[in-house]
Amino acid sequence: MHLLHLDMDSFFASVEVLDEPALAGRPLVVGGSVERGVVASASYEARRYGIRSAMPTAEARRRCPDLVVVRPRHARYGEVSRQLLELLERVTPLVEPVALDEAYLDVRGARWCGDGVASLAAQLRTEVREELGLACSVGGGTTKLVAKLASKAAKPRPSAPGVAPAGVPRQGPGSGVVVVAPEDELAFLHAHRARALPGVGPRTADKLRRYGVDSVGDLALVELGSLVRLLGRAHGTLLHDLAHGDDPRRVEPSRVAVSIGHEETFAADERSRDRLASLAREMAERVASRCRGAGVAPRRVTVKVRFGDFTTRTRSRTLPAVLATGQALGAVAADLLDELPPGPGVRLLGVHASLLVPRDEAAAGPEQLSLFAPPGDPETGADGTQRREGVEAAADAIRDRFGAAAIASLAATARRAGAG
Amino acid sequence: MKFRTERDGLLEALVTAGRAAGGRGAAATTSPSIQLSLRGNQLEVTGSDPDLVVEVRTSVSGDADGVTLVPPRLIVEIVRSFEPGTVSIVGDDDEVRISSGRAEFAVRVPVGAEITRLTSPDSDGITLPSAPFADGLRQVVRAALTDDSRAPQLTGVLMVATDTGLRLVATDSYRLAFRDLEGLTALPAGNQVLVPARALGEIQRLLGPSPDDSDTLVFRHSDLDAVFDVGAVRLTTRLLRGPFPDYQRLLPPGYPHALHVARDELASALRRVRLMGRDAKDAATPVRITFGTDGAELAVLTPESGRASERVDGRFDGDELTVAFNPGYLLDGVEAVRADTLVLEVIDSTKPATLRGDGEDDYRYLLMPVRVS
Repeated sequence: MHLLHLDMDSFFASVEVLDEPALAGRPLVVGGSVERGVVASASYEARRYGIRSAMPTAEARRRCPDLVVVRPRHARYGEVSRQLLELLERVTPLVEPVALDEAYLDVRGARWCGDGVASLAAQLRTEVREELGLACSVGGGTTKLVAKLASKAAKPRPSAPGVAPAGVPRQGPGSGVVVVAPEDELAFLHAHRARALPGVGPRTADKLRRYGVDSVGDLALVELGSLVRLLGRAHGTLLHDLAHGDDPRRVEPSRVAVSIGHEETFAADERSRDRLASLAREMAERVASRCRGAGVAPRRVTVKVRFGDFTTRTRSRTLPAVLATGQALGAVAADLLDELPPGPGVRLLGVHASLLVPRDEAAAGPEQLSLFAPPGDPETGADGTQRREGVEAAADAIRDRFGAAAIASLAATARRAGAG
Repeated sequence: MKFRTERDGLLEALVTAGRAAGGRGAAATTSPSIQLSLRGNQLEVTGSDPDLVVEVRTSVSGDADGVTLVPPRLIVEIVRSFEPGTVSIVGDDDEVRISSGRAEFAVRVPVGAEITRLTSPDSDGITLPSAPFADGLRQVVRAALTDDSRAPQLTGVLMVATDTGLRLVATDSYRLAFRDLEGLTALPAGNQVLVPARALGEIQRLLGPSPDDSDTLVFRHSDLDAVFDVGAVRLTTRLLRGPFPDYQRLLPPGYPHALHVARDELASALRRVRLMGRDAKDAATPVRITFGTDGAELAVLTPESGRASERVDGRFDGDELTVAFNPGYLLDGVEAVRADTLVLEVIDSTKPATLRGDGEDDYRYLLMPVRVS
């Protein structure tokens, strides 16, 4: 069990409601003009009227005269999508975005995996709701195919679907999370209509139906040779494999990281604010070092804290200029940590850097100087930053050659000495 | 609740109160709403979010007292769409019927809506002279930070009592503006409050571009909140918590270079040359100012779009040098100055510059340069 598929619920429409809460609870679509456009996204209230994506807006309006039609704001959806990706990359770097509102995660090596994939999926859904204010559905399985069908099964239902998938275990349909146990996967898969498989469009579905194949289960009973004769070699083989649960597609993370971060779960809940601040600074040093290694510098810092009672809080700050050094990143991280409400002991602490700008680009661009860090200031001013950057890059080189423990800041050394 | 009134007066009250119930700024957890409260012929229209409450009192012809909530955007759009004339409103717990001419709307009361109540300070109000206070706001509010994710205390304007009056200070860490209002005693000596710039922006709007002293402005505050009464409008805002940066140490002791220039000429030239930076990837393409004996040369260069330059005549004392600024920030400062001649003082390309009016010692606008390679 190691794949999750996360799909935002009515993404565009939900973002509009998020930005304009007065729209909540009203039938709403995001789409083109009533005269000529089509529906790009429909709220669940609108779906109750049978309104679906790709339906002409005029038809949608006919079905629901009270319908609110909002013009799409793609830049805004892109921005939210980015926030989503950042959040997902905190769970695992193996995130494959397939659309603005949809991504696969390979969670084999993910943090808190010990708690089980189902609770990881539920946790993820909670985090998306708390941080972005948006709902999503999460499906889990050992293949992309099952994970995707599971997320679909987890979707809220405005109306009953044609086939109620059998073998949907643990969390019921519409609950937002469906994780299919490996031993239930084939039953789950076979209960779906063949139409649910990728590569089965209306025409293929028609051909299959004439052959007596309605469900994926029916399809699994057909000999490979017969399928190849019916659909051709490539297509037939693909469907045969899929019907047997054989989906070799891996999660291919996007090549360019959206965020770089570091998290630690403590053996015992950490209660000292001072110690947390110095841990955050140390993590920031490591994050900055990895950013340097990737040739990027961040403009956004996010601090994540999970308390002993498993509530999770994050704080982010976006800066007008990149943070070139671990010191600068650490200062922001410590600041953000301060802004978080006090809670019971801290179980997990994370520092994440995002809005990554290629380093050469950041260096060449103009830099608005700040009143509170005049360049004459050796620590935080512009000249100081360059000097500090040199020091940290030299430390990176030493660690590369002699190992991670070869060099550390005095504060980190002191903390370790104190702890030991 | 039931009353009739003229469209225009009602619309104005709804728009004013609605600005405090802005859908986007408000917390997503409660749906924003406007409260209508009628007693006799007095209608009170209240808009609020967790930090700001705006109450507008207006006279209507009332039939039945009562209180109801309405969704802000929708009601404003409805009332605005009516022809000038009488509007009737009848409300109960579930819906509000709004009608005018032959049009009738029955609007559902927003679910989960609530109106923020801030404490009402009981200290005595102090009447502030509207015109100088509005002018001070015009000069200072612009320097405050608008995005509160970075440093919430910088989204405020510091009102601090000086020996001789009141000083207003704001900074977003790139520029800083302060204005001394002599003889104006809004606070006991040594006291200070940090008022959200957003609230003061609303005060500015309420006072209008050129208030006269018949526009009364009464101010009072507690440790948590501040109240401004502007005519029939009461605005209550939460105060921000500091610490406000120690801005006084930022003021350079002196400047080796000073340019005297006509304010409007510099402003027009800036508005022209910065057109070239508009479409650049980063909106803030810097303007490079080369100071020379007879004035200054403004230039904006972008690799994508091209370049623009313009000479501005003036008197320059000092050595020739070039300093780059964010043109928007610079223009903000130029426009804030009242005197026809302004003085732009610089140290070098990485230290704060100052803008002030010639002979105008009660206002300063500090601005950090942009470093260009």
